[in-house]
Parts: sequence; structure tokens; C-alpha cells
Amino acid sequence: MRKLLSSLGLLVLLSFAVFVGVDLLPGDPVTARLGATASPARIAEVRAHLGLDRPVLERYGSWVLGVVQGDLGVSASGRPVTDMLSDRVGNSVLLSLVTLVLLVPLSFGLAVWAAWRRSADRVISLGALLLVSVPEFVVAGLLVLVFAVSLRWLPAVSLVPVGASPLSTPSVLVLPVLSLLLVGLAYAVRVIRSSAIGVLASPHVEFMRLNGASPGLVLRQAVLPAVLPVAVQVWLVTGVGFVGGAVLVEKVFGYPGIGELLVSSVQTGDLPVVQALVLIIGAAMLAALVLADWAVVVLTPRLRVAR
Amino acid sequence: MSRDGQATVSRRRWLARGLGRWWLLGLLALILIAPELAPHAATDVVGLPYSSQGLFGTDHLGRDVLSRLLHGGRPMVLTSLAAAALGTGIGTVIGLIAAWWRPFVMRPWDAVAAVPSILVLLLILTAMPNRAGIVLAVALASVPLSARVVHAAAAQVIGKAHVEHAKVRGETTAWILSREVLPLIGTTVLADLGLRFVMAVYLVAAAGFLGLSTTSSDWGLLVVEALPGAALQPVALLAPVIGIALIAVSANIFADRVRGRA
Repeated sequence: MRKLLSSLGLLVLLSFAVFVGVDLLPGDPVTARLGATASPARIAEVRAHLGLDRPVLERYGSWVLGVVQGDLGVSASGRPVTDMLSDRVGNSVLLSLVTLVLLVPLSFGLAVWAAWRRSADRVISLGALLLVSVPEFVVAGLLVLVFAVSLRWLPAVSLVPVGASPLSTPSVLVLPVLSLLLVGLAYAVRVIRSSAIGVLASPHVEFMRLNGASPGLVLRQAVLPAVLPVAVQVWLVTGVGFVGGAVLVEKVFGYPGIGELLVSSVQTGDLPVVQALVLIIGAAMLAALVLADWAVVVLTPRLRVAR
Repeated sequence: MSRDGQATVSRRRWLARGLGRWWLLGLLALILIAPELAPHAATDVVGLPYSSQGLFGTDHLGRDVLSRLLHGGRPMVLTSLAAAALGTGIGTVIGLIAAWWRPFVMRPWDAVAAVPSILVLLLILTAMPNRAGIVLAVALASVPLSARVVHAAAAQVIGKAHVEHAKVRGETTAWILSREVLPLIGTTVLADLGLRFVMAVYLVAAAGFLGLSTTSSDWGLLVVEALPGAALQPVALLAPVIGIALIAVSANIFADRVRGRA
């Protein structure tokens, strides 16, 4: 509960920092939009229309009031931000969820396999080390070269008709998901693997083995309960990491998600959209972190008493 | 295993270690002198778009892909190095302060650490769309991580007898931290620097890729420019992709090695 409150506080702080930070910028969004030749009267008119003539605190206050009522304001292009976001949030959530669903069993299986067999560990660890250091768009670029350019199996650009779901043409999802998955997988496997190795080297596992416990029994009774709390945390952290990764991956494939929108809004200086996106991304991220803490407590009986 | 076998293994390991140590430095040195070797300027139009002129051909505007590649590496590496050094430097100071006096100086940085680094990058670049902005953003994203690592390492050293002895001797805090504590956590700081460099390359390349770069031929920019024409000029996409991957992986292996020794 206290964690929840401090997360909310952090969220308010983050949104306020964006508000004030943007206000301190040397550039002026209105002049940038109208061009240097615009008359001062016109600039003042647009400023008043956008509400930019009021002091920062007052604007922040009214923005927060709007957000609480589910109104994220109006974009610089004149459309309500809520309208612009609705489809895209769904698309990004879909992308992350599909990746996460694949990530969970794959990372656990590969990590435990690597911890169990040295021969498998060589390949898996090397692969993970190679992938973990590389930006998602580099992986995505390689995937485009292999699957879209050489093999021509999959589209290099994820064209999704406006208003339609990417699910109507699943092939556009494959490469974005794969790019996110590979990088996330590398990170998750590295962490879970080292935790599993620690468990397998512990005295009670050796005792089980000496008593003739089958590998299946050791996995079920010793490795799984010890590694799962770590794994759940890693999965949630990786899920949060998808926010950053998705910005890059969505841009590579032109996938219509919030990451792509964030980049284009930053470039055009569309502040209401940037603010709304920071709020949504921040909220999702903090929710995942709170969830991770809670999951660890639930999965580790030892910690439950400590309260 | 026989004694011979062991000897072979250790010799091979020695060779790998020697190679590993010089590999990253060699790679960085190569990238830094590369602009001098480029046959053309980064923005010169030398032929038709997507022609096979030159070693790697030309891009969508008819610029020489090889030259753009050679020119783009230096600013990327220098920016990343500056950002990584700044991030680890500030992080080390904060980590030491936290370990010596008050752990709570870490708190505000924990909040910064909760924000995805890409978001930090985008927000700061909105405000400062220049090289200093990139360095600042990357450093800001690195500081909390460095501070945490240094804090953990320094907290162990500070409890040791030689530090107590120096305190009793009446040495100043700055002297103790720099002469008695810092040397003992040197490898940790070096490994951290390697990891921050990996992160910096990631973010600097990402900034280029997102069209927020400040140079005309950043490797991230090369990737995004080459994507639409990947079918016509695959090398233009492959070369920067491999380049970024090579730097990131080498630096990561370097950090892994150093950490293994710490």
C-alpha cells in the first residue's frame, strides 16, 4: 500500500517534471508551428487558444483535473489526445503481450536447460551475451534483411489500416515481436540462468540427487520454487523494458503503436501528446514494478511474515 | 584431464585474454581514425542512388555508403565515451557519498532509475536537441546504476580495518575515500564504465535512429535511412548494424572480463 502511494507520487512528479521541463525549453512550440514569419498578433492568438498564456502551475492544475476526468487535452493538430491514443495503446499492448506470452516459457526453459547442461550453456550463454548488448533496432534490421529482403517471407513494414487491429493481418506482428523477444529473452535468460545455477549447486539439491531423486523431481521441488520469484521479477522488468524497446521496434516497422507516436510527437513538438504518453507509459511501468514486488512476496512464503 | 591438456587450455585462455584486452581498444582506435581513411565526405553525392559504385555502393541520395560509415563512427564513439565517463564519474561520487555518510542521497536517483532510459533520452532531446543533450541524457540514465554499483562495493571496503586506521590517524574524508577506498573498488568502477559505455552506444545509436542525431552520418541514422531501400542496397543496412553490434558486444565482453576479475 505504501509502495502504491509512493508510485503515485512518483507519477505526479514525473508528469510535473515534463510540464516544467518543456516550459523551460528555449524553443517555443507556437513559433515553431507557425514559422518565423508569423505576425506577433497571430502568435498571441494561437497561444491564447492553446492556453499557453497562463502560468505553468495553473496549466498543470487544469491538466491534472482533466486527466482525472479522463480528458487528456487536445493535440497540437487539433484532435483530442484520447482519440489519437485509443487505437495505438491497444496495438502496443498487443505487441507487448504477445511477446511476453512467448518470453515466459522460452526464457525459463532455456535458462534452466543452460544451468542443467554445460554443453547447452555454451551456446545459450554466448547467444544471450551477443543479443543483450545490441539495440532492438539493430536486431530488427538484421531480421528485416534475412526474412523480408533475402527470404521474402514476411513484410518489412507493418502496414495496419487505420482502425483495424494488427490481428487481422498477423504476419505484420511476427518481425516486431521477434525483435522485442530476442533482446528481452537474452536479458531474462542471463538472470534466470545464474539464479538456477546457484540453486543447482546448493547442498540440498546435492542431497536430493544423492538420495536418487529423478531430474524431474529436482526441477519441480527444488529449482522451480527457488527460481520462480526471480523469474517473475525478471519477466515484469523485461515487460517494462519493452516500453523502450517498442519505441525503437515500432519505428523500424512503422507499427502503429504508442512508441511510434511518441517519437513523432517529440519531433513535431506536440506537447499534449508527449505529456499524455509519458503519463501512460509511466503508469504502466510503475504498475509493473508494484506487481513485481507483490509477486515476490506471494511466491516467497518467508517474506510474508516480515510485515 | 591430462597435464598437457591443461597446459593447452591455459595457453588458449591466455591468448583469448590478451586478445580480449586489446580487441576493444583496437576496435575503438580503428573507428576513431576511420574518417581519415574515407574516400569522400559524409554528405558528398558521388553517383546515382543505389548504384554499386565504390566498395559498398551508394545510398538513396547517391552518397558513398563506405564513406558515411567511416565518418559516422567517430562522433558516435566519442559521444558515448564522454557520456559513459560522465555517468560513471558522477555515479561514483554519489555512490561513495552514500556509502560514507547517508544512504538517502541514493533515493532521488532511484526515482530517475525507474524511468526507461529511452524516455529520458527523448525528453531531454526535446529540450536540448544537440550533442550536449545526448551526453546529458545518457549520463543521467547511467548515474543511478553506477551509483548503486559503487555504493555496494564501497560499503564493503569502508568497514575494513585500514579505513578505520586512517580515520583514527585523522586523515580527511576526501583523502580516505580517494586513497584508501577508491583503489580497492577500481576494477568495479572500470567494469561499470564498460557497461555504461554499452548503454551509451545503445542510446546514442538509438538517438540517431530516431532522427534526433546531431551528425550527418551517425550509424543509427544510417540504419534508419537504409531500411526503406534494404532490398536495393542491403549492405547499407548490414554494415552499420554489424558495426553497432560489434562495438556493443566487445564492450560488454570487456566489462564481463573485468568484473570476473574483481
